[in-house]
Amino acid sequence: MKTFILEKLSVSFGGDTVLDIGRLEVEPGVVTSLSGANGAGKTTLLRVMAGLLRPDQGRAEYMGEPIGYGGGGLTHRRRVSLLHQEPFMFRGEVIANVAFGEVARGKEKSASEEAALRALERVGCTHLAGRSATALSGGERKRVALARALATGAETLLLDEPAAGVDAENTEKLREVIASLAGGGMTIVLSTHQPDWASPIASESIRLAYGKLAPSG
Amino acid sequence: MDFLLEGIRDGILLAFRGDPEVMNASWVTIRVSFGTTIVASIIGLPIGWLLAAHRFPGRGAAISVVQTLLGIPTVVIGLVVYGLLSRRGPLGFADLLFTPTAIVIGLVILAVPIVSVFTMTAVSSVDERARETALTLGASSRMAAWAVLREARFGLMAAIVAAFGRVSSEVGIAMMLGGNIKGYTRTLTTGIALESMKGEFGFGIALGVVLMIIIFVTNLGSRFLQKS
Repeated sequence: MKTFILEKLSVSFGGDTVLDIGRLEVEPGVVTSLSGANGAGKTTLLRVMAGLLRPDQGRAEYMGEPIGYGGGGLTHRRRVSLLHQEPFMFRGEVIANVAFGEVARGKEKSASEEAALRALERVGCTHLAGRSATALSGGERKRVALARALATGAETLLLDEPAAGVDAENTEKLREVIASLAGGGMTIVLSTHQPDWASPIASESIRLAYGKLAPSG
Repeated sequence: MDFLLEGIRDGILLAFRGDPEVMNASWVTIRVSFGTTIVASIIGLPIGWLLAAHRFPGRGAAISVVQTLLGIPTVVIGLVVYGLLSRRGPLGFADLLFTPTAIVIGLVILAVPIVSVFTMTAVSSVDERARETALTLGASSRMAAWAVLREARFGLMAAIVAAFGRVSSEVGIAMMLGGNIKGYTRTLTTGIALESMKGEFGFGIALGVVLMIIIFVTNLGSRFLQKS
């Protein structure tokens, strides 16, 4: 079964069509890179897949089920998590941020924080647990946001430009973490405007140009 | 100048000596101000949230109305509520005029726009990604709204403190709807107005000192809550 199937799907903002997909399939258990220039529609596509933006037209399915949006999309949002290009950090400590998803699912605070610590360990950021989340550097913020998405137990991750604005050292660490997640069978879709960065870890690739699917390579 | 200094000295002494009349006016002020702030917050916080976080037909007009109400003269509020609560008014049967409840009704009308506008500003200034981040981490719509409110908590606290400061220092509404009845509806501000006119400058100062202490302690408390 395909993880995502999007068909005849379009999204418009203020009368301008920013996404117009004929048919797009995402394979399960692999890293799929989504490349394209700035403004190609990558973020819009990820938001549709994440259940955060309802398309104007078309069919969007996740694991054979229609993707829910708005109030009816809670189940989908608990299975698929989107990591924004510039992740937002809630005020407070890193540990509370990473535990957010588990707390939102009604878990006990202590159990949520244990899950958060495990997720921080996976991205090599345990030492940041007690730090103020809003004072993190760009690279730390991305890794902590990745830990936050992992801590929710989401089965699919959508990463919007995970390497953008991150120094070389943190970029490499991020790639290692993504590769290890993919090695564990997680489905990951990551957008990038640098296909070369993603090519060592991505086994599938999709290219967007002006909101439409374009030939890869 | 001497009479001014003497008044201030006498006032401070009276305030700290625990004069029964000062204490009584203080208690009425505290009850009325806290009661008003709680009711105004219950009404004003959701209104501010609605105006900031939702798009609906007539939203612009609603914002204009709430912002206009910020500038409504207190005597006008007093006059309207007086008309409603007086014997011949539509709510005269409730026999509320010249009671602390009447003061609270008038002050709530004054405070709701303050809480609403401050809340709207605070919620609007929260990063738009906050709600979406909460949603994609598996929060329900209600939990995501709560997450946004938590991000705006400093602004929300400012809204509540501003409303408290405004209502505790208000005099026109308290005078018109409370009637300045000693031991019952006399607040610190109406007491100051009365005592000053009687020439009891020191007593007025005493009431003023207590009022400032109440506002100062409330602000300290709100800062403590913000930090925690």
